[in-house]
Amino acid sequence: MALLRVDNLGIRFGAAGEAAPAVDGVSFEIAAGETVALVGESGSGKSVTALALTRLLASPPARYVSGRIEFEGREMLQLPERELRALRGSGIAYIFQEPSSSLNPVFTIGYQIREAINLHRPEIKEVTGEIVRALNTVGIRDPEKRLNDYPHQLSGGMQQRVMIAMALACRPRLLVADEPTTALDVTIQKQIMDLLKELKQQSNMAILLITHNFGLVADFADRVLVMFHGRIVESGATVEVLRNPRHPYTRALIECVPKLGQKQHRLKVIDYAGIE
Amino acid sequence: MNPPEAIHESYTRRIWRRFHADTMARNGFRTIIVLFIIAALAPFLANSHAIVRVAHGRVTFPVFPSLEPIEWRFLLYVPLAGLAWLLRRRLLTRPWRGAGLLLAVIVLIEIWLAYHHVVNDPSNDRDRPATFKWMPLVAYSPLETASEPFLPPSWTHPCGTDSTGRDIAARMLHGARTSLSIGFVAQSIALSVGVTLGSLAGYYRRWLDIVICRLIEIMDCFPPLLLVLVAISLTESQNHMFYIMVVIGLTTWTGVARLVRGEFLRLSNLPFTLAAQAGGAGDLRVIVRHILPNALGPILVVGTFGVASAILLESSLSFLGFGMQAPTPSWGDILNESRLYIDFAWWLAFFPGFAILITIMSYNFVGEGLRDAVDPRLRIK
Amino acid sequence: MTTYLIRRVLLLIPTFFGITLLTFLLVREAPGNIALVKGGGGATGSRPMTAEQRETLIKFYGLDKPPLVGYAAWLQRFVFHLDLGDSWLDDRPVVTKITERLGLTASLAGSALLLSYLIAIPLGVIAAIKRGQFADRAISFTVFVLYSIPTFAAALLLIMLVAGGDYLNLLPMYGANSINASEMGPLAWTWDRIKHLILPVICLTYASLSYISRYARVSMLDALAQDFVRTARAKGLPERLVILRHALRNALIPVITVFALELPVLIGGAVIIEEIFSLPGMGQLMFQSLEAHDDMTTMGITVFVSILTLLGYLLADILYVVVDPRIRYE
Repeated sequence: MALLRVDNLGIRFGAAGEAAPAVDGVSFEIAAGETVALVGESGSGKSVTALALTRLLASPPARYVSGRIEFEGREMLQLPERELRALRGSGIAYIFQEPSSSLNPVFTIGYQIREAINLHRPEIKEVTGEIVRALNTVGIRDPEKRLNDYPHQLSGGMQQRVMIAMALACRPRLLVADEPTTALDVTIQKQIMDLLKELKQQSNMAILLITHNFGLVADFADRVLVMFHGRIVESGATVEVLRNPRHPYTRALIECVPKLGQKQHRLKVIDYAGIE
Repeated sequence: MNPPEAIHESYTRRIWRRFHADTMARNGFRTIIVLFIIAALAPFLANSHAIVRVAHGRVTFPVFPSLEPIEWRFLLYVPLAGLAWLLRRRLLTRPWRGAGLLLAVIVLIEIWLAYHHVVNDPSNDRDRPATFKWMPLVAYSPLETASEPFLPPSWTHPCGTDSTGRDIAARMLHGARTSLSIGFVAQSIALSVGVTLGSLAGYYRRWLDIVICRLIEIMDCFPPLLLVLVAISLTESQNHMFYIMVVIGLTTWTGVARLVRGEFLRLSNLPFTLAAQAGGAGDLRVIVRHILPNALGPILVVGTFGVASAILLESSLSFLGFGMQAPTPSWGDILNESRLYIDFAWWLAFFPGFAILITIMSYNFVGEGLRDAVDPRLRIK
Repeated sequence: MTTYLIRRVLLLIPTFFGITLLTFLLVREAPGNIALVKGGGGATGSRPMTAEQRETLIKFYGLDKPPLVGYAAWLQRFVFHLDLGDSWLDDRPVVTKITERLGLTASLAGSALLLSYLIAIPLGVIAAIKRGQFADRAISFTVFVLYSIPTFAAALLLIMLVAGGDYLNLLPMYGANSINASEMGPLAWTWDRIKHLILPVICLTYASLSYISRYARVSMLDALAQDFVRTARAKGLPERLVILRHALRNALIPVITVFALELPVLIGGAVIIEEIFSLPGMGQLMFQSLEAHDDMTTMGITVFVSILTLLGYLLADILYVVVDPRIRYE
């Protein structure tokens, strides 16, 4: 049985009859331990899909108009509040794009990680030790001292590591990474992606990576889902999709990634008129 | 499918549209306009002189000779502002020309007012017989003690009479001028001083900032009452209005200055300032043409709320006995009188209180509406 | 950070000079002086003074010397001896006159400040949480109307309805204590004092309350829109904790710093209230000394109020640093 199964998900914003749906009939599956990349440009609906998995979307503007989301066999869109909250963080955990604003500036990072642990793993008595261990896992030096630091005292890369540590502290089965490296500079990007790869190998955690950068996908994901205007236009094993993109949009996306050694006078731009 | 076309909308247009979408703000704005119109038309709404009088075969307009300069000002400037608003497109395409035209008109009006001779005619036209006369709605002047004191509201005296027999409706209508103009002028002074000092402090920083901040602190701690007393006693005339405006303006600029300073500190760090400076723009140009328009939103908001509080302040001062003195009508002054007689003459307190409340609420609605319209964090509908 | 604070405190000194100098000069500039007041005779029934007697008085109070000399003398007295002088009106030490009225004004302003914060913060937070719904609109509208009512109008209204007068007669109309207060036991006296202060405190509170609750609402809305709120939800925290622990803590930062700035505003507002309710507080004292040209007392009150205000600003700065870790650990 798949860990996560999304079936014909439809999400709209605003009053009925307004604008196109943000997510339009999206279906996909993620197996336990699998790494899937959800690729698309801004506005394609990928973040909305990701947030929908644990109903994190603000419900008055967002409406779930169709479909089902099954996580470990449970129907997420119908789940009562309390059970939903229990799954958030321990079943499905998130890391977001802007680590600097995703951490609460008035609490220490140790406190924020402790909060997560206390919530989902009440059996742990030595919480501080657990926090230190989590920080170590993500590669933060001197974790005992770092515990009492505030987020603004850390660099962007370190903040993102803290976010990852916080997400991992509750041993989630699925980690949703929403553009985790977009706000970081390139060298840090690589460090974070390497960290995620490492963590992937250490545990049986599934990862859903949301990105607009096909370049990150190749070395990282088992499968790729390409999203365009709220629909999934292509899906398949990473190697296959990269070698034989079938949809014109996928092709265009791949061509946008500059290749080393290739002489280019102009960067490739996607011609929307040619698609659909 | 193509990406949607970007909608181009100028900054002011967008603010105006968002402002208008807000019902409360829109109503507040309309109320203020109505108030200004009423204030301008006050001499025609409440006067002991007839608007038109036909007697002995001659047609006269007794209202006009006795109009005071400030009444003329309201009568002329309010429609002028309305005209400028209607013609704003044409004026804005040639701004210097438009400004020059307006300035010329204003100068002409002022010169005429300086030489205009006011006829003080205490007689009233109610009793004088005439073939035809068209009296204002309230046939009493705010200054004459025409009737018995403490008359309750009636058809002849819609708001009753006060302790000396003066008609309150007339005093209310004429008092609108006082409150509105004091609020407007005082706040203009406060804004001018505040924006100037705040922008200098926020832009130049260092010692200029230190000095100006000290100035701000000094003004904050200064007892405004003292300033009012001294200012009032410096003038012999009964008409304290100008001094009160200046005093209120000079004591309330600190809030504006703080805000503008904060905005300038923030904005002068942004890249666009550097770009302007790198392009060779002098300091004055950068401040006025680049940074200031970005700070305009919060300044407008504070300015609107400032008018409301200036009107409140003036009323409070009149209430304490330091503001406008009788016989010049002012809402605060009427309220002051009402203190002693409130047990049996409720109308003395109700009408001016209500008027002040409506005016201030309208300004506050407009201020809130502006604040919401200007807020960049609000998602655009 | 300590250097910042020391700098701030040092900068208060020139401000203090500025205020006192300006006040002194203005007080001198005002036409009329104590000699005229005292020497005019009038209601007290005493004989008006002769010109020579007035001259003597003027010399006695140093009013014949140029203003700067007078200021220097006053300043020297204050800085080196911490002496604010004696009142020109009744020859009692200015400090005494102030301290005996201080309690009343302080309890007035203090209660108003406390009450307005206690009521305003929950109101603002609720309005923010239930944004757009009935609760928000009801609160916003009410607060709005309150904000627009002039203090004295509210006072008049309350007096008319609740105190004295023809309607309800629940509360006294003026004064800080009833006439027979000295005969009451301590408990009765306290209750009597409270009864007398209820209306004045209400008048002082409602405007400040409106302002703070609007501020709290905006601040809370800002906080709720931040990314870390989404993170807190994603962690699985119950909504209650997300709002009260994560969002509120951030929202309170600007609200609390305003706290220290409100105190001087309230003391200023107390002037009108004391006048209307005939409360023997500092506002009334200021009034009287201005009218009587009692320059010493006026200066003394100015010193007092300005030190309080400046300390208020300092406190606001300190609070800001204490409460926001981003500033604390630069």
